[in-house]
Amino acid sequence: MDETRPLILIVDDVALNRALLSDVLCDKYNILEAKNGNEALLLLREKTSEISLVLLDMVMPQKDGMEVLSIMNKNGWINEIPVIMISVETSHSLIEGAYSLGVTDFIGRPFDEMVLMNRVNNTIRLYAKQKQLSNLVLSQIYEKTRNNSMMVTMLSHIVEFRNGESGLHVLHINTITEMLLRELLCRSNKYAINRDDIGIISTASSMHDIGKITIPDAILNKPGKLTPEEFNIIKGHSLNGAQMLNSVPFGKDEPLMKHAYEICRWHHERYDGRGYPDGLKGDEIPIAAQIVSIADVYDALTSERCYKKAYTHEKALEMIHNNECGVFNPLLLECLDAISSRLVVSLQTFDWGKQADKDFFYIADSMMKDKAHPIYNQTFRQFINERKKSHFFESMLDDLLFEYSYTPAVIRFSSMASQKLGLPRTISEKDDKLALGANAENWEKIQSVVHQHPALSNDPIQTEVTLTVDGKSTPCKVMLLQIWENSPDKKPTLASVYGHIDILH
Amino acid sequence: MSLSEFYSSLGESLDEVLDRLRMESRIMKYLGLFLEDPSFNELKEAFESKDAKTAFRAAHTLKGVAANLGLNKLSNTSSDLTEDLRPGVFTDKSQALLEKVEADYIAAVEGIKQLE
Repeated sequence: MDETRPLILIVDDVALNRALLSDVLCDKYNILEAKNGNEALLLLREKTSEISLVLLDMVMPQKDGMEVLSIMNKNGWINEIPVIMISVETSHSLIEGAYSLGVTDFIGRPFDEMVLMNRVNNTIRLYAKQKQLSNLVLSQIYEKTRNNSMMVTMLSHIVEFRNGESGLHVLHINTITEMLLRELLCRSNKYAINRDDIGIISTASSMHDIGKITIPDAILNKPGKLTPEEFNIIKGHSLNGAQMLNSVPFGKDEPLMKHAYEICRWHHERYDGRGYPDGLKGDEIPIAAQIVSIADVYDALTSERCYKKAYTHEKALEMIHNNECGVFNPLLLECLDAISSRLVVSLQTFDWGKQADKDFFYIADSMMKDKAHPIYNQTFRQFINERKKSHFFESMLDDLLFEYSYTPAVIRFSSMASQKLGLPRTISEKDDKLALGANAENWEKIQSVVHQHPALSNDPIQTEVTLTVDGKSTPCKVMLLQIWENSPDKKPTLASVYGHIDILH
Repeated sequence: MSLSEFYSSLGESLDEVLDRLRMESRIMKYLGLFLEDPSFNELKEAFESKDAKTAFRAAHTLKGVAANLGLNKLSNTSSDLTEDLRPGVFTDKSQALLEKVEADYIAAVEGIKQLE
C-alpha cells in the first residue's frame, strides 16, 4: 500500500455500495471498509490520525450513521476528520440532523461518480491544508518553547556559575516551584493563580537571582565571612534584579514579567515581616515569591556550597519547619510536606528533555482549552501523549535502555542504564570523552555496536559486548531495533536505534 | 440480452446509469453483486418475523442500492415501503407494498440472470 496516499474510510452495511465507492476512489486513495458503525468506530480509534475522510451511510445495523457521528463529536474526531454522508434518505429533518452533527457534505443516492469524486477531492484537499497549517504552527511553537526554556535556563545558569554554584540550582528551583504550586492549587483557591500560571511561574522562578550579576565578584565569591556592609550589598540583589526587569522597555503587562518581578524582588521576604528588601508580611508577599523563597531555601540546604555540606532531605525539612532559615506560610509548609517523598525522586531524576517538554505541555494544554482558538489536532494530542507515555514508562522501567540517533550522534540512556554504566543521561559525539572519566569506554563500545549493522533490518538485531557495569567488566547482550527513515526520492537512511542491554551472568 | 435491452425491458434507461457510473463493465459487475445482496431476503424474513424495524432498514437499503443501479421502479416501490415503515410499525398497507417491491425485485433479478 502506498502510504503517501490519503486514506478513506467507507462505512456501509451493503457490500455493493462499498464496492461502488471503492471502485471510483481506489485509483487515487487508499481505502478502508467497515460494515457497520461499530467497526467504523474501532477503525477510527485505531487510525484517527491516518484517516483523511469518512464516507458514511446513514441507515445501518449495529450503530447507524447518526450514532457514529455523535460519538465522533464526543471524541472530537469530527473536528479533524471530515465526514461525507451518503444516503438515499430524503427526509429533510434527518439530513439537517446530519449537518448539525458536523458532516461536511451530504450526497444523495443515486450519485454521479464524477460529482462524488470531486467532492471527495475538495474536502480532502481543504482539510489537508488546514492540518498542514496547524501542524506547522504547533511544530513552531514546540521549537520556540524549547528554545525559550533553554534560553531562560542558559541565562540563569550564567548567573549561577558566576556565583560558583552548580547550574542545577535553577533547574531544581523550577521543579520544586512547580510541584509546590500544583499542590497548593489542589489545597486552596485562596490565591489568584490557576493551572495556566504554573508553567509561567516555574519559568519565572529561573530568574530569581538575576540581580546577582550586579554584585562585585570580590563580595559574591568571597571565601570568608562577609562584613555587615558586604552582606548589605549582597542583599541588594533582590531589588537590583527587580529593577533590571523593570527597565526592560516592553512586556510590562506580560504575566511572565509580572511574576519574574515579584519573584526577584520578594524572594527574600519572610512571612513574619522580617525579610528584605521591603519587609512585607504574610500574604502581602506575592504567592509566587513565597513559593520560590521556600524552594530556594530547600535547595540551598540540600546542596553542597563552598561554606557548607549538603544536608539530607529530612534534616532540611526539619530546619525549615523550625524556622531556622526563615519563616514561611504554614499552608506552603503543608504543601512541602505533602510533596516531600515525590520531591526527592523528582530532583534525583531530573532530565532536561523532560523539563523542556513540560513547558510545551503547559502551552499545549492551554491552547487546547482556549475556546476562542481551539486547536483540535489529533497528531498534536498524540504527540503529547507519546511523550508522556515514554516519560512514564521510562521512569517505571528498571531496564537498561538507550536511544541512539545518528545525525547528530546523540545517545540518551534510561535512568537505570545511566546509573549502571556510569554515564550521563545524554551524551553527544561532541562531548569531551575525558569528562566521562573511567566509563568513557562504555560509550565507545556502544557507539561501535550501533555502527556495526548498516544493513536494513526491521527485526531487532542481537549482539554481545562486554561493558563495565557497576564498575565491573560484565558480558552483556544488546538488542537493537533500527528505525529507518523513508524519503520518496532517496534510499532509506538509518535515523536511530533503540537499544536494550541485558546483563549476562 | 444486452445491458441496454435489460434496462429497456424494465422500462428504465441505461444512458442515465452510464452517465453516473461511466462504464458498462462496471454496471455489469454491480448487477452481479446485486444478486448477492441480502437486503430483499432480509426484508421478507423481517415481515415473517414481524420485525418492522429491520424491515424498514432493509427496505431503505434496497431503495438505495436500486437507485444506484438505475432500477428506478424497484427504488420507488421500496421507497414507498420505507416511508410506510418509518414509524417502526407495520400498517394495513405494508403487505400490499411489499408485494409491489417483490414483483419489481423478481423482474430485475430475472433480467440480470439473462444478461450475457
